[in-house]
This record gives sequence, structure tokens and C-alpha cells, in this order.
Amino acid sequence: MAQSSALPAEQYNYDIVRKFTIMAMVWAVVGMSVGVYIACELAWPFLNFDIAALTFGRLRPVHTTLVIFGFGGSALFATSYYIVQRTSQARLAFPWVAEFTFWGWSGGVALGAITYMLGLSQGREYAEFEWPLDIAITLVWVSYFAVYVETLRRRSQPHIYVANWFFLAFIVAVALLHIFNNLAVPVSLTKSYSLFAGVQDAMTQWWYGHNAVGFFLTAAFLGMMYYFVPKQAGRPVYSYRLSIIHFWALIFLYMWAGGHHLHWTSLPDWVSTLAATFSILLLMPSWGGMINGIMTLSGAWDKLRSDPIMLFLITSLSFYGMSTFEGPLMSLKSVNALSHYTDWTIGHVHSGALGWVALVSFGSFYHLIPRLYDTKMYSQALIYVHFWLATIGIVLYITALWVAGIGQGLMLRSFDDYGNLAYTFIETVEFMHTPYIWRALGGAFFVSGVLVMVYNMVMTVRAARYEQAAVEAKLTAKLAKA
Amino acid sequence: MSDNTLNTQQQSGAVQTTGHAWDSDLQEYNNPLPRWWLWCFYGTAIFSVLYWFFYPSWPVGNSWIKGFGTVSYTITDKATGKAQERESRWNTRALLLEDLGDAANDPQRKAMLAKVQTASYDQIIKDPKMMAFVRSVGKGLFGDNCAACHGSGGGGVAGLYPNLTDDDWLWGGGMDKIQETLVNGRKGFMPAFGAVLKPEQLDDVAEYVLTLSDEAKSSEASERGKAIFQGQVGGCYYCHGADAKGVQSQGAANLTDKIWAIANVPAQKTLQDKKAVLTAFITNGVNNTRIMPAWKDRLSPTDIKLLAVYVHQLGGAK
Repeated sequence: MAQSSALPAEQYNYDIVRKFTIMAMVWAVVGMSVGVYIACELAWPFLNFDIAALTFGRLRPVHTTLVIFGFGGSALFATSYYIVQRTSQARLAFPWVAEFTFWGWSGGVALGAITYMLGLSQGREYAEFEWPLDIAITLVWVSYFAVYVETLRRRSQPHIYVANWFFLAFIVAVALLHIFNNLAVPVSLTKSYSLFAGVQDAMTQWWYGHNAVGFFLTAAFLGMMYYFVPKQAGRPVYSYRLSIIHFWALIFLYMWAGGHHLHWTSLPDWVSTLAATFSILLLMPSWGGMINGIMTLSGAWDKLRSDPIMLFLITSLSFYGMSTFEGPLMSLKSVNALSHYTDWTIGHVHSGALGWVALVSFGSFYHLIPRLYDTKMYSQALIYVHFWLATIGIVLYITALWVAGIGQGLMLRSFDDYGNLAYTFIETVEFMHTPYIWRALGGAFFVSGVLVMVYNMVMTVRAARYEQAAVEAKLTAKLAKA
Repeated sequence: MSDNTLNTQQQSGAVQTTGHAWDSDLQEYNNPLPRWWLWCFYGTAIFSVLYWFFYPSWPVGNSWIKGFGTVSYTITDKATGKAQERESRWNTRALLLEDLGDAANDPQRKAMLAKVQTASYDQIIKDPKMMAFVRSVGKGLFGDNCAACHGSGGGGVAGLYPNLTDDDWLWGGGMDKIQETLVNGRKGFMPAFGAVLKPEQLDDVAEYVLTLSDEAKSSEASERGKAIFQGQVGGCYYCHGADAKGVQSQGAANLTDKIWAIANVPAQKTLQDKKAVLTAFITNGVNNTRIMPAWKDRLSPTDIKLLAVYVHQLGGAK
């Protein structure tokens, strides 16, 4: 095999990967803390202190944007830039353009959070950026595409590794979604109106929203999984054939499913039916990725006892499997009649976001960081601590919201002997107070796990700097003697 | 591309890799699709086709496949009042009509509604069955329309919205009076005495008012206040009455019962603070700040009747 004799740190552009990795952790801490804060606001509303910028309506998009695009996006930039270089055995193309993607992306996310707190928002879920930021993000994204594709083109491997298919699908699909969903008529620098109206607008919004889940939070993170799981396990991917079939099935089917967010609305009934069935059809293609990841470990299950990174990766795949089972279930009209507009939906999203997206990123980072800095993680024990804090946090969070959501759903549809509604809306809100406290507690567990990781990471980087300085000192001493 | 690492994998298991390797050791086995996975995938496809047959699905030309599912519902012709049974292909609009029809045609509900509509307030309140119905309907009506201001249990907000669970009523607690309040709404008014009385006089009146509910002891100041209250200078007795027990036709509060609707006296700890909130209130009066909206255009007469009984029984039905 053609292996370069140069050190990987010299052979590949690790600088950009390091930057995105660090930024991902910064966004994780800020974004998830905001999440815990607004969870507390729901339990104890006085916490908004009557300050407009701190109200739930303004902080919620700050939370989702910092976590999805800040943390998730930066994690994807970091890992995709790392993976495309290593699996192509080529240095990252256009280093300055890659540098631009870092500053552009980080600046865009930060400006987004600030504008939301000022009350400037398109009011489109997960796409609240006003039009000037949308244009800036489009530029960043096109640059990302150029860097990624050119690096792939320069590969010294005849075949393109499966992880790259997923990343490429993610980059292309997100460009498409972002542009069409944000078509709008600007009326001032900070205000625009959507090009679509009524139910067409809602449909466009959820075509975008659902595929943001599909391509940003699923396909791209599967790309991450396809590199780091076999790498960390030291074993080949379970099935190449399965990876082809589930890749194409996933890519084809996801695009149709967005309408299930609009069941029981003015969306035409036939659109809603098709959305439900395409969601059901998505179940097995989604599970294909889980099977391929988990079965990669078959024959080496003992690693789960000795390797905390493997624990992160395999647990993330289990949560992925669970939430991709729950999703199609909730997309059925009859189930949705109960679940829609309740916190069950929020719980479902977080079992995917915390359980799958965040855990697979943490596992990948624990593999990645020592390699970026040519050292070892500062503490294995702290990785275990992080794992358990995160897992307990997720379980608390999603069970609390199952109780809150299913409970509220059942209360809203129960009738008394006279056919009158048995509960008023406010009674359902009172009922949810306790689960909301548990949910905030779950979030706090999760964030404390992230803080442990940040500490572990900082100590690792520090130790690496110290080691490097020692090596350099020795070298100069030797040179001086000679 | 084949090298030693591949050969060891091939020797250890029956399944072969694809023969590609990336990043020195990334490889892929060429395992077939798991059988159970494939059959489940087919299963979801069969399920989807059945779902398409039941519900409206694929668009065809300007229309769409209607599906075999049906919904039956009753609609009442507004002109003739005749009820008609209808059946249509499954659609959410028909489903809503079905639900509404089920609720409206609930035999228990229909019977009780007819009974309540013709019964007098006294008959309703003495009949436990009708009262059970009033509580069932009233809870929803109150929760949807009244709770936003008066609180979900009717406890009100001190200083802002009257408490409906005590037996003190500004405009009267009889069911006919409550009905009046609901139908036309109410508008509270008290002149601002800051323009009429001197600061020390305002202070004296406040002192006197506090003695009425035993918050303060009689003193020289309160005696001076009494003279203003009962005399022509203040003229407070016009509305609150010489006994200060209020006049409900004016919406004037009873000042002797230790229940405070607006000036939040009980929340203050010291006599000084109690007097301060009261003085501020007498100074500014009430003008366009205490409005109960009229509900006659938003609720049906029957709903208002049911609500009047419901609210009356919240306050202990006195």
C-alpha cells in the first residue's frame, strides 16, 4: 500500500480540523447551557425576568441553532475534513477556502444567535437566519462543497470510501434545502417575507425541517460513524452491500417524508398519507446504518468492557436505532393525533440529538483529539464519567418528556360522561410541571458531562504542548552538543 | 491493493472483504444483506401499499386516489333544521364533522342541555344532577374564557382581577347578577381624590378605612378621616354607604370584610405600608383600568347561563 513516510500531521491539514473541533465544543457548552436554561424557564417561568431577549421564544432558536449548526455543524466540518483527507490520502484542497469556511460558519452561527436575541428572525424553524445571513451561509456552503469535492478528486485511492458518500449527499442536499426554503423577498436589511404562502409555505418549511434532520443530523453523522466505528474497533465494516442499499434508500426516501410534521393541518390528506408511508419505508434504511455499525463490532464485543470510546459509539447507534423506530411510528396519522403538539415530539428529537448526534460526535472526538495533537487522552476515567453523565441525562430527559407528552396528549382527548372535555388546557400545563423539572435535570446531567469532556480535552492539549516543548528542547540540546 | 492485513481477515472468517482498503486499515466485509432486514423492508413496503389503499394517496391528474376508508357523519340543515346522515371517503374534514356530531349528539348531553335551558336558576342549583352537568360544562367554559384573568380555579390576581371563590361580590353574587355581568360586562369607576383632598386628609381617610376592617385602631387621625368619609368633603358614603359595606349596584366595594380586591392591603406587613397602598389608591382612583368584557357576542345564552351558575357556586353559592 502506498503509504507516505511523512507524519500525518504534516501530510494532512490538521489545523482546520483542530479549529472546528475546538469550536464544536465551545458551541456545545454554550448551546446546551442555553437549552438547560430554557428548560428551566418552562418549569419556572419567572426565569425570563420579563426581559425580551431572555424569553423562551427568543432563546429557543438560539439553543437549536448553536447546538445543531454550531456544535453539530462544526463537528461535521471537523470530521469530514479529517476523513476526506485520510480516506483519500490527499491533503485538503484550497486551504484558504477551507479557512474561510471556518470563519464564515462560526461568524454566521454567532451572528444568528445575537440577531435572534434582538428579535430578528424569519420565524422558520431551524432556518431563523434573516436573508443577509442566509446569503453568507450559502457562500460558506458552496466553498465547503468546492473544498470537499476537489479533495476527493485529488485522492490517491481508486475508490471513494462510504463515509464520503454520506458527507457528499449531506453537502449537496443541505445546499438545496437551504436555498429553496429561504427564498424570500427582503423589505429591509433585517426583514423579509417568504416567497411561498399558506400551506405551500408550511410544506416548504417542513420539507426543509425534516430533511435537515435527514441529511444534516442523520446522513452526515452516519458518515462520521462509518469512519470512526471501524477505525476504533480495528475491524472491517460489516457489509459493503448493506451500505450501498441503505445509502440509496435513505437518500431517496427521506426527501418525501417532511409532510408528516403537518398531519391534521390544512395540508391535503393525500400529501399527509404519502409522508406517513415514506416515513414507514424509511425505518429499515435507517436501521441499515445501525446494523452496519453495531455488527462491525461482532466478534469484538469485549471492547465494550475496555474501551469507553467504543461505548460512546455503540450507545449512540442504539439511540439512533431507537429514535429511527420511534419516528416512523409517530408519523402514522393515528399515532400523530396523540403525539402532535405535545412534548413527545421534543423528547423524540432529543433522543436523536443527544443520544445519536452528540454521543457519536463525542466518541469520534475522543478518537480524533489524541491523533490531532499526537498524544493520548489525559484521562480514560473521565471518559467513563462523561459517558455515564450523558447516558443518565438522556434517559432522564426522554422519559420525562414521554410522560409529559403522552400524558398531555391523553388529557387533551379525554371526555367526561357528558361528552365534554375532561381537562382544560391549563390543567395539562400544571400536570407537566414535574416532568419539566426532571427534563431540566436530565439536561443538566448532559451538560455537566460535556464540561468534563472539555476539561479532559484542555488537559490533553496542554500535555501535548508540554511534551512537544520537551522534545524540542532535547533536540536543540543534541544539536548544540554536536 | 491486497496486502497482508486483508489475508489475515480472509483466513479467520468465511466472509471476504471487498478488497479495498483506505487509511491503511479501513476495509469492508462483503456480507449479504441480513435476511430479517430485507424481509422487514419488504414488510414496510406492503404496509405502505395497504395504507395507500385505505387513505387518500397518490395524485392523479387534477385529483388524487381517494382510498377505501369511509367516514359517516350527521349534518343539520340550517334552514329546515333537518338532520341528514352522510357518508364520504376518508378525509379530515368529514372526520371533524363526525367528531362534532358525536359530541353534540351525545344523548346524556342533549338531555341535560334541554333540561338546563328550561329550568330556572333556583331549580338548577337545587338539583344535584343538573349541578353535575353545570360543573362538567362550566369547567371547560371557564377554563377557555375566564381563567386567563381570574385564574384556573377562579382565585383571581390580587390588585388586578377579582377573586371569584370568596363570598364578596363587587357587582352582586346572585346568579341573575352574575349573568348581567357576563352579558354586558362591567366597568369599575372611582374618582381620583388626589385632586380633591389634601395629602394629610387622604392619609386620614386611609387611616379610617383601615379601622373598618380592624387593620388599625381608632385614633384622632381616623376620627378626622371618618368625618371626611361620612361628610360632604369626601362624600365616600355616597357609593360605599354609611356603613361602608359597599353598594353592589354601583360596583362599590365592601370596606368592612377584610377582602381587598384592588389595593393589596393583606400583602403589606406594617401598618405604614398598608396605609401607603391605600392612600395611593384613593389618590388615583379607578378610571378605565378595571374592565370586565361583555360576553354576549361571544357566548351563547345557554353558555352564559351555565357559566353564571358555575361562577356562583365557585363563591360558595351564597
